[in-house]
Amino acid sequence: MSTLANDSGSRMNRFADRNFKYLVIAPAVLILLLFGIFPLVYTLLVSFQNINMMETDTSFSGLLQYRQLFSDIRLWESLGHTLLIVAIALPIELIAGLMMALLFLDRMPGRQIFVALLVLPTMIAPIVAGATWRLLFDNRFGPINQVLGWITGEPQAILWTIRPEYVYPAIFIAEVWQWTPFMFLILLAAMSNVDTSLTEAAEIDGASRLRIFFKIMLPAIWSVMTIALLIRGLDLFRIFDVIWALTQGGPGTKTETISIYAYIQGFRQFETSYTAAMAFLVIFLLTIAVMFALKRMEFVR
Amino acid sequence: MKTLISLVAGAALIATATAARAQSAADRAVEAAKKYAGSEISIVWEAGLQSLDPLNFSGPKWEELTGIKVKVIEVPTSEMFTKILQEHRAGTGAYDALNVIPSWMPDLVNAGALEELDAYVDKYGYRAELDSIAPTYRDNQMKVDGKIYGFPDDGDLFILYYRKDLFEDPANMAEFKAKHGYDLAAPVTWEQYADIGQFFTDKFAPKIYGAGQFRQPAYGIWMFEERFRNTGGKFFDADTMRATVNGDIGVAAFEGMRNDNKFMPPGVESWGFVEALSAFLAGDIAMTISWPPFGRWAAGYGTDDSALSWVPKTTIADKVGYALPPGGSPQLAAGFSLSVSSSSPDKEAAYLFIQWLNSEEISLQRVQLPYALRDPFRESHFTNPEYLSRWKDAPAYLKTLRAGADSGLLDLSILQIDKYEEVLRQATSRLWGGEDSQAILNDVATQWDALTDRIGVDKQRAAYTDWASKPNAYPN
Repeated sequence: MSTLANDSGSRMNRFADRNFKYLVIAPAVLILLLFGIFPLVYTLLVSFQNINMMETDTSFSGLLQYRQLFSDIRLWESLGHTLLIVAIALPIELIAGLMMALLFLDRMPGRQIFVALLVLPTMIAPIVAGATWRLLFDNRFGPINQVLGWITGEPQAILWTIRPEYVYPAIFIAEVWQWTPFMFLILLAAMSNVDTSLTEAAEIDGASRLRIFFKIMLPAIWSVMTIALLIRGLDLFRIFDVIWALTQGGPGTKTETISIYAYIQGFRQFETSYTAAMAFLVIFLLTIAVMFALKRMEFVR
Repeated sequence: MKTLISLVAGAALIATATAARAQSAADRAVEAAKKYAGSEISIVWEAGLQSLDPLNFSGPKWEELTGIKVKVIEVPTSEMFTKILQEHRAGTGAYDALNVIPSWMPDLVNAGALEELDAYVDKYGYRAELDSIAPTYRDNQMKVDGKIYGFPDDGDLFILYYRKDLFEDPANMAEFKAKHGYDLAAPVTWEQYADIGQFFTDKFAPKIYGAGQFRQPAYGIWMFEERFRNTGGKFFDADTMRATVNGDIGVAAFEGMRNDNKFMPPGVESWGFVEALSAFLAGDIAMTISWPPFGRWAAGYGTDDSALSWVPKTTIADKVGYALPPGGSPQLAAGFSLSVSSSSPDKEAAYLFIQWLNSEEISLQRVQLPYALRDPFRESHFTNPEYLSRWKDAPAYLKTLRAGADSGLLDLSILQIDKYEEVLRQATSRLWGGEDSQAILNDVATQWDALTDRIGVDKQRAAYTDWASKPNAYPN
């Protein structure tokens, strides 16, 4: 009896020794499967059903939802608005962040206090930032029109969140105000780590500041900048709060992004299966975009 | 002896029955609810001022009378439908009683989210008191397919408020008559509304503008529905169920709304409840169209209450006139009915609470709470001597509300109404964005038709026919 028990115990030990690495990572894999993969699989499953406000049809409905995606003009328009926001806000944030980082690279009095103040906007919840900007842009009580009125010498009644010509500028102002500091902070950290002997040597050799920046600084921070761009690019792609607080996607659907459209379809109109299909379309498009971007930036290597 | 015993027993029975009958619906609800003492029920209520009723008044009072605690779940109006349906779908039983906008009731009933109340109404003898609710609300906001799913509990409607001092000023009257050829008085058509609004703006702006009113899309849809129907518009062709909002009447309504902005304060396109209220109470506008609380607060009623400290102090008390909006058939614009959630674990206790809230006795107190937003909805509310004496012009105010309750227009209520309203909300925001009215309404019609096709033309036709057959769907 004891021999049998000993045999069994040693087999267990041998199994544990052989598979130690798998046993160690098993809890992490299980958690990943539970919280990461399961919702994705469930969403995929729902996208092949027909669940909406009035029906809970969980039978397999094939590509019904996916076929609808292609004829839904509002979906493609919202995707277009999202891309427009990414295409304009991301370069502005990058360039402004870079310029601010360059400015703060040199030691200056009160540098730490200024950096801390500049980073404050990123600590505010985006919905709060949006609501605050809505108040600032308010026609009746907001200070922005008042200041513009002082500058122009006549009362200004610009409808920042209503007129089509002003809604995008309003969104960009709020978005860039909040997230440029994030770009600035990452780039400042990267620039601070660039070997100063390289830049000093270049200066001694008579290289201009512009040449030093493009030939030494930029290549040195390239990988960090790529990551910062990816993070902000993905954030901008799922932008919701600021626009919701400012315009709710209006006027009409002129500022409706893919996230806002998904929210309206999923949580206001209860098109559950359709929204799941939409989510998968976005995941698919984003995966392609990210892979393409990483490859272009030769970051995969 | 036997005869004597029978007589005594009979008399006792009659006395008991009479005593039971003599009890009010509120008392019956309280007595029956005592068996649930120590429990807690939840009720979904619109966040903000509306919730002060159950938080400050009815909730504590119910607990004192029955021992049942009331948990108030505050939800913004824009999220109420979603939350109610989500909780029902998830089967959490988190909500016991509900505040429901009547136009949602068919959708919520179809989704199985609301409990049918007829059996409870009979069990607790509430039918007679339901009959004394003003007919417009009682006949249109209580039942789905002939069964009771909610008690109309809020006499919402849009009223025209105007500055009597400006309208009755002899100089203004003479100038206006000379210019337009008719007497200056509360406008009865939209053309008159524009004439009067422009007249005051031309004369007094920027100190006073002719009018100012809600323009945010969430409110704009009611403004459109009201104006559209008052000028003869019909939402659908009843035979084909194709949308007809993009005809001449719809375009004229949209154009009229946009043109009216010209005599309103700059930036009126962004106005919601608070902006219109503060402008009217500050005396910045001569006319506005809004819900009944505007009239009470403009008169200064209850504005000393700490809960109303955010309401600007009125500068126009005793100067406010009340009238029905142009066309004479005001939009009922939302309103609330009290319902019981079908997934509630305490349906009976929840029912008893809403019967008590809605009863003659308690509702009369609730509609007079200065800080709450419940408006008169029972015959007795409009004629109550105490309410009539609340401020100098209260009789005129209640008379106007009563007239509006008769001619009021129901919000459009068909299957999946929120999707149709969402299209109209977008259309309103496009209108303020400067797009062409005809193009906007053509898009509305196309999107409504697509929705109808998706839901099913026959199903939607049945829902629309049922709604349109109600006397208050379109002006008589």
